[in-house]
Amino acid sequence: MALPIGYSFKSLFLRPVRTATTVGVIAMVVVACSLMLGLISSVKRTLVSTGDPRNLVVMRKGADSDGSSQVSLEAYQAIRFLPGIREASDGTTLVSPELVVQPFLATGEGGRDNVLVRGVERVALRVHDQVVIEDGRMFTPGQGEVVVGRALQGRYRDTEVGDTLEFGRSSWLVVGVMEAGGSAFESEIWADVRELATDARRTLPFSGIRLRAEDGESMSALAARIEGDSRFALAVSSETDYYARQGDAANVLYLLVVGIAVLAGISAGFGAANTMYAAVESRVAEIGTLRSLGFSKGAILVAFEMEALALACLGLGLGVGAAFVLSLVIELLIGGVSLGTGFVTSVVTLSIGPRDFAFAAMLSLAIGVLGGTGPAWRAAGLRPVEALRRSA
Amino acid sequence: MSLSRYIAALMFRRSRLRMSLTAMAISVAITLVCLLITMPVALEHILSEAASMDRISIHHQAGLVYSLPRSFVRKVRAVDGVDAAIGTVWFGGVVDENRGVPFPSFAVEAEHVSAVYPDYGIAPEHQAAFEANRNGALVGQRTLDQFGWKLGDRVTLSSTVWPVHLELQIVGLIPRKNSPEVWVNLDYLDLALQEATGEGVGEVGIIWARVADPSAVSEAIQRVDAMSANSGAETVSETEQAFFKSFFGSLEGIVGIILVVAVLVGLCIVSISLNTASMNVRERTGEIATLKAIGFPTPRILFLLAAEPFLVSSAAGVIGIAVAYFLSLVVSGLSGSGEVLGPLASFTMTPEIALQGLVLSLAIGLLSGLLPAGMAVKRPAAQVLREVS
Repeated sequence: MALPIGYSFKSLFLRPVRTATTVGVIAMVVVACSLMLGLISSVKRTLVSTGDPRNLVVMRKGADSDGSSQVSLEAYQAIRFLPGIREASDGTTLVSPELVVQPFLATGEGGRDNVLVRGVERVALRVHDQVVIEDGRMFTPGQGEVVVGRALQGRYRDTEVGDTLEFGRSSWLVVGVMEAGGSAFESEIWADVRELATDARRTLPFSGIRLRAEDGESMSALAARIEGDSRFALAVSSETDYYARQGDAANVLYLLVVGIAVLAGISAGFGAANTMYAAVESRVAEIGTLRSLGFSKGAILVAFEMEALALACLGLGLGVGAAFVLSLVIELLIGGVSLGTGFVTSVVTLSIGPRDFAFAAMLSLAIGVLGGTGPAWRAAGLRPVEALRRSA
Repeated sequence: MSLSRYIAALMFRRSRLRMSLTAMAISVAITLVCLLITMPVALEHILSEAASMDRISIHHQAGLVYSLPRSFVRKVRAVDGVDAAIGTVWFGGVVDENRGVPFPSFAVEAEHVSAVYPDYGIAPEHQAAFEANRNGALVGQRTLDQFGWKLGDRVTLSSTVWPVHLELQIVGLIPRKNSPEVWVNLDYLDLALQEATGEGVGEVGIIWARVADPSAVSEAIQRVDAMSANSGAETVSETEQAFFKSFFGSLEGIVGIILVVAVLVGLCIVSISLNTASMNVRERTGEIATLKAIGFPTPRILFLLAAEPFLVSSAAGVIGIAVAYFLSLVVSGLSGSGEVLGPLASFTMTPEIALQGLVLSLAIGLLSGLLPAGMAVKRPAAQVLREVS
């Protein structure tokens, strides 16, 4: 016969302070790991959602990102007429020559960041069709106008429609705001590619080319053809792969955080084991009584294991709740977490996803099992007669 | 005295399981805290030691990718207080075009290297060889080790930002332990570019200048910036330290998170060890009253009770620090994380970090020893004994 679940739960509240401390420790571990994992998966989510599987990225061979690449005008002229590139219904070829520069932008707090400014032609809005002008309008080429990603607006000065924004060697008029489904484009500024090249005094006009292929087959044919052209030394990758590579940084961080979480979890597990051992010690008489009443060893084992798991679940619930509230507070206070590697700052909206919570749940269950098994085993191993005698 | 030692020994032997569980919890957590604080400490270390206060960075106010006229370097050299200046251009060299940029490479004005970087300890004959050979290269110790190169080797670097391949000979070494940089001759890049495109380099990216008198640094910065005002290429100058600080500024978010986590883990240890200590004290309530009743002075009892958590916590701290040291050697030996975490990935345990870990564990030991014990000894013995019996 099994002991009612209520037994395990009610036992926890017999020693409220001890239970609360252990729950608090587990909750802290849950908060720490879900916030960190949430941040990292937000970065990854942002990057992954930026790439379009139908698009190709053309860069200088060896370049890690389009911020450190150069593509000549001749290469662009050769590529734009290749077969296999999608044509829009109005006959526009979906090839977007782009120039990336990273000027300083003044933050609202008086600091400065390197922000990614992408020089584009109008066709960019059709190659990157997830980008929508949410407010205002697209810039008019040659007029010193720019559109800004909406993620930048909370962090940098002069980024509202109608503002004059200073970057590079000129002043630019903000005429629109870009919305791009939470992708990295929302951390960019787009300007006219020729104006930007003049402003940055680039001898080679473009840093990369983005294009939309007709279909999967023409994608590989195009890639082979462009990479095979010995005149230009260019490398081609799918846009999805390109942004996944940019997210490699996040993968290393992910491993680091998982390592931290596991160590902290082990520590909390020892703490929980202590609490449970003490619970067993203080209830020796009770266990003896239960055993003499006819409850089996298995029932006792399950009851104490349940108690440890209940401890872990309480910690999990508290931790998840706290992490959720904290992420909302962070969102309200600073709008987004700015992260950058060397040359580009992107503003990431912190949201803790189901996978991060799932990891936290697994971690706290592991803490419960780690902390519960030893004590439960000891409780089940007590011999009824001896237990009754010891307590007397 | 021997009696109290006897009692202390008894207390120690009582709950060995609980003691070892607590010790393990504390040592794992101390390991974690130590490893975590190596990261921000490494950043601070780089900023305060590797980056010099008397070298200034001069770059375009618009950003690091905006260039300055090459003639500006000469003007900087003439500024009052500036002893030497060097113009640098990002080269972005790759060894294997399919593998990405493996180290920072710059084209620099060869004849000014040693004057601007005396602290790098470049041998005079290497400096002379770098000046004398247009195709010479100075290579940092770390890159040299990483690629198994040695002095005299010939290597070809392809630039990702200029349409050139440079055939180079390694003529000198930058003998700093963690130096990854590769410096090539700016004249060589200029020449190669003229052949390839008909146009030379023309402009430089960042100019580094050395100010011999540390007290004149801020004035030199002001003079340089004043000189550039209204020239069409206004500059922002700052000390090398300030420059690296803002360059690594993007890591500050990560550092902040790491510190928050370290504090959380610290709080966890405090709760765990307080919890254990209060369990011990509660179990010994009767004993404490008895000791009081037979005339033990309160401080002695306090000492007896506090000794165990204190010793356990400090021993656990020492173990934790040792494990962290071992892990730091293992982790920093793994490659791959260096690019992403930059200076944070060095995981070097300094004596200061070990000391901080030790202080933390001692403080936790004291706190968790004295707090519950202090509360226990306050209660009148007679009352406790009545309750217990």
